[in-house]
Amino acid sequence: MSIKSLEAFKDSAALSLGVELELQLVSRRDFDLTRGATDLLGSLDYDERFGEIKLEITESMIEISTLARSTVDGIAADLGGLRDTLRQHCERNNIGVCGGGTHPFHHWPERRICPGDRFNDLYQRYGYLAKQFTVFGQHIHVGCTSADDAIWLTQALGVYVPAFIALSASSPFVDGVDSFYQSARLNAVSAFPLSGQCPPLNSWQEFTEHFAFLQACGIAQGIKDLYWDVRPKPEFGTVELRVCDTPLTIEQATSLAALAQSLSRWLLRTRPALHTAKQAHVARYNKFQACRYGLEAMISDPVNLCQIPLKQTLALLLEKISEDAKELGCAHWLDPLKQMVEENTGDAAWLRDQHNLHGNLNDVVREASERLMRKDNHRQETKK
Amino acid sequence: MIDTIISSLRAVWESLLERLFFLPPFPESIDSLALFSLLLVVGLLIGEWLHAHAKWPKVIGYVLAGILFGPSLLGWISIEALAQARPIADAALGLLMMEVGRRLDLSWLRRNPELLRSTFADITLSFAAIFIFALGLVGLTPAWAAATAAVTMASAPAVVLLTVEEARAQGQVTERIILHTAIGSAASFVAFAFVLGIVHAELSEDWLNAIVHPLWVVAGALLVGGIGTWLALSIARALPKRSLAQVFVLVACALLAVGIARMLAVPVFLTLFLMGVLLAARDQQQTLRYTELPEGHWLLAIVLFVIVGASLPWQEFTWLVGLQALGLLLVRAAAKAGALAWSGGSLPLPKRLLVGLGIQPLSATAVFMAYEIASLYPEVGRSALTLPFFAAAMMELVGPALCRLALQRSGECESGDHSRGGIA
Repeated sequence: MSIKSLEAFKDSAALSLGVELELQLVSRRDFDLTRGATDLLGSLDYDERFGEIKLEITESMIEISTLARSTVDGIAADLGGLRDTLRQHCERNNIGVCGGGTHPFHHWPERRICPGDRFNDLYQRYGYLAKQFTVFGQHIHVGCTSADDAIWLTQALGVYVPAFIALSASSPFVDGVDSFYQSARLNAVSAFPLSGQCPPLNSWQEFTEHFAFLQACGIAQGIKDLYWDVRPKPEFGTVELRVCDTPLTIEQATSLAALAQSLSRWLLRTRPALHTAKQAHVARYNKFQACRYGLEAMISDPVNLCQIPLKQTLALLLEKISEDAKELGCAHWLDPLKQMVEENTGDAAWLRDQHNLHGNLNDVVREASERLMRKDNHRQETKK
Repeated sequence: MIDTIISSLRAVWESLLERLFFLPPFPESIDSLALFSLLLVVGLLIGEWLHAHAKWPKVIGYVLAGILFGPSLLGWISIEALAQARPIADAALGLLMMEVGRRLDLSWLRRNPELLRSTFADITLSFAAIFIFALGLVGLTPAWAAATAAVTMASAPAVVLLTVEEARAQGQVTERIILHTAIGSAASFVAFAFVLGIVHAELSEDWLNAIVHPLWVVAGALLVGGIGTWLALSIARALPKRSLAQVFVLVACALLAVGIARMLAVPVFLTLFLMGVLLAARDQQQTLRYTELPEGHWLLAIVLFVIVGASLPWQEFTWLVGLQALGLLLVRAAAKAGALAWSGGSLPLPKRLLVGLGIQPLSATAVFMAYEIASLYPEVGRSALTLPFFAAAMMELVGPALCRLALQRSGECESGDHSRGGIA
């Protein structure tokens, strides 16, 4: 792979949003993962009015990404449109689509790397890890007006990584067994050498120097090699949050986007002290806590030297950002998250409930697939 | 050579009988279990050897073993032994047909009208082209031309299923090959039932049999398949999903249906196919939806194809019949490729043609169907159906390779070629 110099940061509208969802392609016969992404895209007749539908690393994955939108409602409309387009097309090809961070029982050696130089390079470089990377995440892009703001926001959002992990956790099952984790997906990501946190950098200048250093050491060729939890994306002019599991519904994905936008506004407006060097010491531990225990995680505070229940900090956070959410017109999208925190529920718990109900994982995927395709999941749950 | 060995053994045995009174009389025929294991080992060895050295599908090796050791060549598998092994072949074919029936997803046709168009075109064009060829070019009577078309119009479910399993293929071409095979089989069974009546009417002018026999076959298969389905679902509901116990229940109910079908002279392939279709349609609670046949069904499949190979009447081969059979296969291939090309749809033309290539096999179901029809009027049936017998015989050897080629070309096989990085 050739070494690419870092692109100039393309300024974008403040707090504009974009969402990418990696989705599972499953057989409608037994709900195991199936190979079909290339054929599906090859025969897709779609004008990209809601955003893109793209290949991901293996043939059992597909990625949908919205257009850049200024409002969360715009993101919701795009995700709904993309979901419906995909449903229509998958039905014609007898393929099911499903959310969730991992497929509960697929056998990773059966996965097929998608055609394309980039995917082939990844397979050659990482070997079996590339096939094990058949995990499914949600990436949220938040627009920044300057490169320095982007670096600051990258550091600031890093503190809230456990919150996003816990609220999106939807990967309790791996290889057919309950992993005891709420989000087991991130364990597959952790195996990659450039995964983890952005180092404590304070400006775009420091970031470009750090990146040049990585290139000189032969560690990274392009920005795509950095599998950081939060990273700047210069060509889009955004900060990209990469730690969320793909939720089971597009409504939950939209709520997470609303959280990212409101939180970013609050952070950029209030500019709290970041303590990046201290946070770097506890980041991995806090991430593990959120993956393992979800909302029940105990988060280490390196400034006050204590542990605080994540649920408690999340409830406070959602209160703190509510004014910003109102200003952005997305307060109604935060209500389901507040309810989640109050009731201690979530996608991982829902998947475990389905497993207890049916006693097998095939039916769990079948139910999850129907859930993704159902419209107005939030409304239906509120009625219940 | 075998006779010489047996007669010397018999002489020794009989001389011992006078002194050793506990010895049983010299066995006049081979024990069924011993026969089963011999067929299994012979088929397995040849199949594995061809697969390892020539990359041929194993099914071809099993059929070759049958031809080699069957009555047509070496004669080590006698006609009596073939009759003795028939229940095993019925059980193997039955299980595979049930699996094909379970995979018949009619809802896919509703969601994708282009598939309705392509499967309908495949069925009608294949039947019409073979019928016209048999009637016009070979000179068969309308009844036997229809019988020939009914027997050979569809792809071979057992071959397709085993080739897909062996290649661990997955994807749109694979799924469409299975769908075309299942729907083609269903259509061929309907045509088969009609043909039974037509043959009765033409050969004996016995209208009672002409009407009641097809009804007996269809209603009987439906009833037996329905009972098997009801029993399997009722018992399986009380067991944990995907448990070994459910697998046993599924296999036991399928074998029960095979046994009852044999007792009532209802075709096993039709009964078990319908049982599979009913199992998929009636299983609202997904009781048996995810329960797969045990790996052991490969053992039965090996024996099935050895028996099919041994059943092929190669001793009756003439160059004329060989050419006619080749003509039939070419006409059939053109009809299937034409149907897939004409039907259009979201899959690109080269991939649709690969589907057409993948559905070329013709095998056990056709041979068994031909035997069912021929046995109605043995004095004329066997010679009248020489054409489909030889078409099936030739396709036994080529069909699995064509199906495998289609799957490979589509890039849907599980690749063992690590140097290519698993790229399709």
